[in-house]
Amino acid sequence: MTLFRLLAAALLAAAFSVSAEAADPRRGADLAAHRCVNCHGDNGRSQTPGVPSLAGQPADFITVQMILLREGIRQAPAMNPFAQGVPDQDIEDLAAFFASLPPGPPDDRAPKDEALFAAGQALAGPRHCATCHVADYGGRAQIPRVAAQREEYLVHAMTEYRDGKRAGVDTQMNSAVVGLSNAHIAALAHYLAHLD
Amino acid sequence: MVRTSLLAAGFLAALATLPSLGPAFAQAPAPAPVPGWAVGRPEGSTLAPHAPRLTVTPADQVPVGALRLPPGFQAEIYAHGIPGARMMAEGPNGTIFAGSRAIGRVYAVRRNADGTTRTSIVAQGLAQPNGLVMVGNSLFVIAVNRVLRYDNIEANLDNVPAPVELTAAFGLPTEQEHAGNHHWKFASLGPDGRIYTNVGVNCNVCETDRDKFALLVSFNPDGSDRRIEARGVRNSVGMAHHPVTRELWATNNGRDWAGNDWPNDTLHRIRRSGEDHGFPFCSAGSADPQFNGGRACSEFVQPAALLGPHTAALGMRFYTGTMFPEQYRNQIFIARRGSWNRERLSGFDVAVAHLDAQGNVTRVEEFMTGLRDDANQRFLGRPVDVQVARDGALLVADEQMGAIYRITYRQ
Repeated sequence: MTLFRLLAAALLAAAFSVSAEAADPRRGADLAAHRCVNCHGDNGRSQTPGVPSLAGQPADFITVQMILLREGIRQAPAMNPFAQGVPDQDIEDLAAFFASLPPGPPDDRAPKDEALFAAGQALAGPRHCATCHVADYGGRAQIPRVAAQREEYLVHAMTEYRDGKRAGVDTQMNSAVVGLSNAHIAALAHYLAHLD
Repeated sequence: MVRTSLLAAGFLAALATLPSLGPAFAQAPAPAPVPGWAVGRPEGSTLAPHAPRLTVTPADQVPVGALRLPPGFQAEIYAHGIPGARMMAEGPNGTIFAGSRAIGRVYAVRRNADGTTRTSIVAQGLAQPNGLVMVGNSLFVIAVNRVLRYDNIEANLDNVPAPVELTAAFGLPTEQEHAGNHHWKFASLGPDGRIYTNVGVNCNVCETDRDKFALLVSFNPDGSDRRIEARGVRNSVGMAHHPVTRELWATNNGRDWAGNDWPNDTLHRIRRSGEDHGFPFCSAGSADPQFNGGRACSEFVQPAALLGPHTAALGMRFYTGTMFPEQYRNQIFIARRGSWNRERLSGFDVAVAHLDAQGNVTRVEEFMTGLRDDANQRFLGRPVDVQVARDGALLVADEQMGAIYRITYRQ
């Protein structure tokens, strides 16, 4: 925990200069220690199946999703209670904190299956995933980092978008996954989970 | 050159969607078809929608000082701290209601005796409650296909009772039927007492059920007697009836991924119910590069005006007040939210469409500017709706800032 705090502190200066608003990642770190890291991981890399990693996510993305969870617009039964009533300032500080952490894969990442990886890569091109998620799949603004995200979480998220169970702040993602089979989604998730 | 590559991309996309061609290439598992939204999308483009701001913007960060207006006009902040505020409606007692999209709230803005305002939340947790209209003392909220009626709303703002649910009566297409596309509504009360709204297209551009999507429709306020007012209108998020001629006018958002400058967003004049305005075969009066289907664009109603490429022309109202100079009377104010599907920003302003005595648009000019920073290719705010207040002031909702500006005129 101490090492983690030191690492986080070392990254704060960068976070300050990037954030356009008066978000306080230091305060965010304190809030996260009590509310978030049990599931999302001490270093923001989730070791919990079904729970996404937040390290290195764009601050806008975390903020927007927290608002949608708080308002009950996005349904995630494990998460909605934690988002309930959280003030805007707390959300922005938490977002600045997680955005400042270095991203990376979970410790329990499954071995890479070359064929599945290639199948996912072949889908990502025609689906134009990198248009929004950018070339290294690191995301930007309200668009999440999907590189090295937990594989089963990526499957879950894409399936929810495809099946109309999740809406973003615009409809690009719903459109992007129209018509994908479960096998397509599995391949895409494997590909993205193994990008570093 | 650009046109050729667009056509080629469209052809390839069309091939990919033809199931009958699948077996001929069926060595490996068939790739997923390229969906309609990706038709025409150039390789390597990084254009994406801008991030919204759903948290409160402090008043001192609302860029009212950056607004530029014609001589004699001033802007002030009317309301702030209402994240994502969009389409407005005014109650008989002067309450301004504002819907939203992602944040799912409907706000009420009340004026205090000293001229300041206070805001409250009327409804929350709704899916895209963007369509607001007052019918008498009742506020109608249309959230995708959900239609809610809040009776005697202004007397109950501090303790809003459960609304009357009219969803089944209106029978609008669901979010799933829209496949998540263009399902948010604009709503307006016609001089005939009917509620007018849009049903956007269920894709970026595609062949679709033209009796179900890409429409302007009207209903009795109880949801009965649906009537198609206009066909082939891709997605209108702004409409109003001319105060004199009673004709319906509407803004329309053009398709994406067909280049920086085609098509323009458009203004439409609906002379007779049920006329066809051409989408997806034609947009802004010319043939779609992928979905024209051999149709002559002259067979469709032509747009009344072009409103700029990708400008996102949304809320519109005729100016019916007396505060502004005579030249603005019965002219159309249009909020242009601003582009994302274009390499250089366009819109992010309020424009005026000037009409002559015959109701033809003679020119479209900028009215409220200053939110688009051309030098740095960034924006300070996103105007999404206009409302003529009872005192003749023009209210402008800025979705990005969660604020409403009030524009007044003094000689």
